[in-house]
Amino acid sequence: MQGTAKALPGAAHGPKVRARRESGLSIPTLWVTAAWRPRKERGSQPGTPGSEGGSGALSGKSFNSSRKGVPGGTGLGSRTQGGWGPGPGRVLLQVQAPGRGRGPRAGPAWEPGLRPLHPPALGSHARPLGYAQAPPRQIRLRSVPPPPARVYLPCRRRRSRRCWTRRPAPSHRPAARDWLSAVQSEGPERGRAFPAGAPEAGAPGCACAVRAAGLVPAELRSWAVVGQAWSVGSGSAAATGWGAACRMPEIRVTPLGAGQDVGRSCILVSIGGKNVMLDCGMHMGFNDDRRFPDFSYITRNGRLTDFLDCVIISHFHLDHCGALPYFSEMVGYDGPIYMTHPTQAICPILLEDYRKIAVDKKGEANFFTSQMIKDCMKKVVAVHLHQTVQVDDELEIKAYYAGHVLGAAMFQIKVGSESVVYTGDYNMTPDRHLGAAWIDKCRPNLLITESTYATTIRDSKRCRERDFLKKVHETVERGGKVLIPVFALGRAQELCILLETFWERVNLKAPIYFSTGLTEKANHYYKLFITWTNQKIRKTFVQRNMFEFKHIKAFDRAFADNPGPMVVFATPGMLHAGQSLQIFRKWAGNEKNMVIMPGYCVQGTVGHKILSGQRKLEMEGRQVLEVKMQVEYMSFSAHADAKGIMQLVGQAEPESVLLVHGEAKKMEFLKQKIEQEFRVNCYMPANGETVTLPTSPSIPVGISLGLLKREMAQGLLPSAKKPRLLHGTLIMKDSSFQLVSSEQALKELGLAEHQLRFTCRVHLHDSRKEQETAARVYSHLKSVLKDHCVQHLPDGSVTVESILIQAAAHSEDPGTKVLLVSWTYQDEELGSYLTSLLKKGLPQAPS
Amino acid sequence: MEPAEDWLVESLRLYQDFHAFDLSEATRVLEWIGDKGVFVAGYESRKKNEILHLTLPFRLSVKENQGLFPERDFKVRHGGFSDRPVFDLKHVPDTRLLVTSGLPGCYLQVWQVAEDSDVIQAVSTIAVHEKEGHLWPRVAIFSSVAPGILHGVRLSSLKVVDLESQKTMYTSGVSDSDELSSLQVLDAHTFAFCCTSGRLGLVDTRQKWAPSENLSPCPGSGGGRWCAEVGGRGRGPGPHIASLGSDGHLCLLDCRDLSHPESSVQCAVSTPSPAPELLRVTWAPGLDNCLAISGFDGTVQVYDVMSWDGMGGQAEPLFTHRGHVFLDGNGIDTAPLVTTHTWHPQKPRTLLSAASDASLHVWDWVDLRASC
Repeated sequence: MQGTAKALPGAAHGPKVRARRESGLSIPTLWVTAAWRPRKERGSQPGTPGSEGGSGALSGKSFNSSRKGVPGGTGLGSRTQGGWGPGPGRVLLQVQAPGRGRGPRAGPAWEPGLRPLHPPALGSHARPLGYAQAPPRQIRLRSVPPPPARVYLPCRRRRSRRCWTRRPAPSHRPAARDWLSAVQSEGPERGRAFPAGAPEAGAPGCACAVRAAGLVPAELRSWAVVGQAWSVGSGSAAATGWGAACRMPEIRVTPLGAGQDVGRSCILVSIGGKNVMLDCGMHMGFNDDRRFPDFSYITRNGRLTDFLDCVIISHFHLDHCGALPYFSEMVGYDGPIYMTHPTQAICPILLEDYRKIAVDKKGEANFFTSQMIKDCMKKVVAVHLHQTVQVDDELEIKAYYAGHVLGAAMFQIKVGSESVVYTGDYNMTPDRHLGAAWIDKCRPNLLITESTYATTIRDSKRCRERDFLKKVHETVERGGKVLIPVFALGRAQELCILLETFWERVNLKAPIYFSTGLTEKANHYYKLFITWTNQKIRKTFVQRNMFEFKHIKAFDRAFADNPGPMVVFATPGMLHAGQSLQIFRKWAGNEKNMVIMPGYCVQGTVGHKILSGQRKLEMEGRQVLEVKMQVEYMSFSAHADAKGIMQLVGQAEPESVLLVHGEAKKMEFLKQKIEQEFRVNCYMPANGETVTLPTSPSIPVGISLGLLKREMAQGLLPSAKKPRLLHGTLIMKDSSFQLVSSEQALKELGLAEHQLRFTCRVHLHDSRKEQETAARVYSHLKSVLKDHCVQHLPDGSVTVESILIQAAAHSEDPGTKVLLVSWTYQDEELGSYLTSLLKKGLPQAPS
Repeated sequence: MEPAEDWLVESLRLYQDFHAFDLSEATRVLEWIGDKGVFVAGYESRKKNEILHLTLPFRLSVKENQGLFPERDFKVRHGGFSDRPVFDLKHVPDTRLLVTSGLPGCYLQVWQVAEDSDVIQAVSTIAVHEKEGHLWPRVAIFSSVAPGILHGVRLSSLKVVDLESQKTMYTSGVSDSDELSSLQVLDAHTFAFCCTSGRLGLVDTRQKWAPSENLSPCPGSGGGRWCAEVGGRGRGPGPHIASLGSDGHLCLLDCRDLSHPESSVQCAVSTPSPAPELLRVTWAPGLDNCLAISGFDGTVQVYDVMSWDGMGGQAEPLFTHRGHVFLDGNGIDTAPLVTTHTWHPQKPRTLLSAASDASLHVWDWVDLRASC
């Protein structure tokens, strides 16, 4: 009958793990309520205690035996309150408020019984458990309750702007896995992370996946106790210091700098106690401090190396790597810097170019030197695509193809079961020389994606090319010369292939040249990194030399003065020096000619000046160059637009998405779109704003064999499709979780079990003596409850299992007897049934 | 890819400008807001559809189309989600309000474009009482101080509803159950209707229902479904109606005398329209005597009506846009069907066209007659 398996009160809404801590107690314990079966519809039985899910708060609560008396309920008058029955004494149900300070708090004077059993001190995370809605009733608690559960609670980290945590020295590292991130207690610079001997804390929001610790046959593993815990710690817990440095299961992301097209990308990520800096870009638009990200955010005086586990560079564009030498050599960082092989090869060239412009042309002082670039590059660790790189024992990273430019990569950063993917700049549509970005279904906790073009629908690549061809064609047709300044590597190849094909089709005769340096450099890099390009280029490269074109020939300086139309590709791409600038000076005065800038230009370069519309340029020696030639800008940069972002989110299937590089106001719709389509949260932090994501790491919990055996004996075995829930008490011992029977838990904790008894008065019309009434009750119950052990004790009371029934005279009405019924909460269902049975009256006794 | 490359080279000659975009979903709607913005909306029945307010690429907005205007992308200015497919969308002039129609056809949805964010929100609905299975109400807007929504599924259900008070201002009051295919407001009191049967009429809302109309479709056509548009600058003085049948028949009527078509030609379409709901005929706002048709295949054809003579002849297009056929970015084997097109309000030879593969093209065609 009833009572074989009990849904513990409070299980109505699914199992709960409630955690409480008290300092000063040594054994951390979590009390778990896990429903073994769904709560039965018991409310149909009149007077069933705990219907409405009311008595739910009993488990996991702390009780204090401190006060007598239970105030009368306003409800059913027939119920009894009284001080009788077995047990060492009356108890007052009292809930221990979670301690905030250094010692156990005196419990608030909770009125027992009818009050909602959640203490307000649980904070806003706590939910009322239902007493407030329950019908008024009186519940009597008997015996000594166990002392308050002792739990080390995770504390909620104080949110401060400077929240970067010093990396702990290896000797201080905790042994356990780090699903909790490090905490700082007094300030970022003096973070006291992981004092030795501190217990590992329990975690709120953790899903306890039960692992049967090798004790259980495989088929039992689908038995799961899934607990949800509350954060009951207060924000100040860490600061007020109860010894333990707790680590929160959360991922924190702070963008340090990101703007529009040529912003400075730099994002700090804290995951599983590891701190990673993603990209280290510079802002092209500034010449002052704003050029570089504000690294003092990480630490004011300390060494960056102490605060960062690694730095990852996504690709060689200066807005993603331009601040690297400043960061590593001038601010000071000696940890590893990860990037792909092509990025490693190209990045120093670009940095040197940039340095030359800044120092040699603009005469800036206090800038990084060539030696610093070299020293910085020595700290670089190059990675291959899809290679899992172990940064340390716990932190691993993996690069995925991002398209965009040669060597561009997205990175997955993983610590334990938590991971973040950072896309950098990427391109979801393949082009003539690069493939499309791709990532596997890695389901990271967070996907950090660029969103520079999130609100744009991009014109197709082909139409861009068409425009390029049209411009070149028109100029050549009217006898003009076309200059295309390019960087050695990247789009140049693409444009060469395009022009070659076009010349062939349209049968054009005008010569196309490329400057010589380009060939060697480009071939060199392409040989190195051919795997990074797309299929078409690879094929071309295998079949013939990249620059063995029919129509494209090597350029000689003298050709620039040749009459008639021609097209010249020349380096460098920003017209700041070298051959491209020389040719530009020669051709600038003729309005028939055209210069096409295929990429962005750094401020201060000739390229930047003419693109911003300047027509008179001051050259060396105070010579003024009048630009009459046509100036065109063709952006071939390949970024993901709104559709691309959606595609990537669909590929990676993250739990949350974070957009950087965009204006929040303009992206509300995109946010909604991502949230609707993928049912994930979407964040858009501003620079310097931190997004904190709680994570739900899996925590293994061992189940005792005894508990499993007992639960197995009670019914069907669970299967993958039909999981079952089981009851148990979760204890934390030797830094591991164990689910045991409550008896064992009590034993381990050295506690006495306390009993809860419910009592009830039933009025019977019976003018006979108490003993006779009791005898009648006995015979009635004996006849009805044939399967139960019904006994008539010598003192006149009747017992049914643990249920005790005594008959007493009514103080006022001699024709009425009062039956005092008392039962333990384990026999709650039987007790309720009995009371309802007795309330119907006794069968007429044969007189 | 070869034909595509060839076409692209050819396109240098054919187009002054050509831009191709890939929307996240196909649209049947291209509704202008000013001359820089356009609304598009998805029409799939099984998912949430997006309504987007896009601004045209900057280089299309500037008068002088010269260099240094690298901005060649559409920008998503506002967006919203619709639970049902959007078959038609009308912007209420001088407001931030939109009205959409679709299936189920029992109501029209009114939307508001937010001022301080990029969101388009549903604000109210206008009930359409009759519920007719697969039919959905056609919509047109009377723009005035108090905008009125003209809507109807059939002639009998035509009414004008005040947008703000939702009061009915006008009803046709007839029992004619001819199904409507298009509605067009001409001025503050008159509108034109076209029934799927080819029946056309002009209605003055100040008077009782007494439209000037043609009761039978174009002579010489094989029937099918019809749509029509009134153009201000047709052949000769006064407004003209161009009426297009799903078999490719095109009739031109003078608004002053709807009973006698001026000309009737067969357009150069190979097959009847596979989806007559997508038939479109539009007059060029900036060119005399030019109109464009689509809805038969993956092309948009531009015709010069001046070259048509009398009845029953064959008409050759002045220009055919084949971009959707050659530039299908999604790698679908079958050629997409053009779902709608529209003329740029300012740039005379610039059109926007959308196709079932979610492509959206903006093209400025070259009149090759001029260069010959």
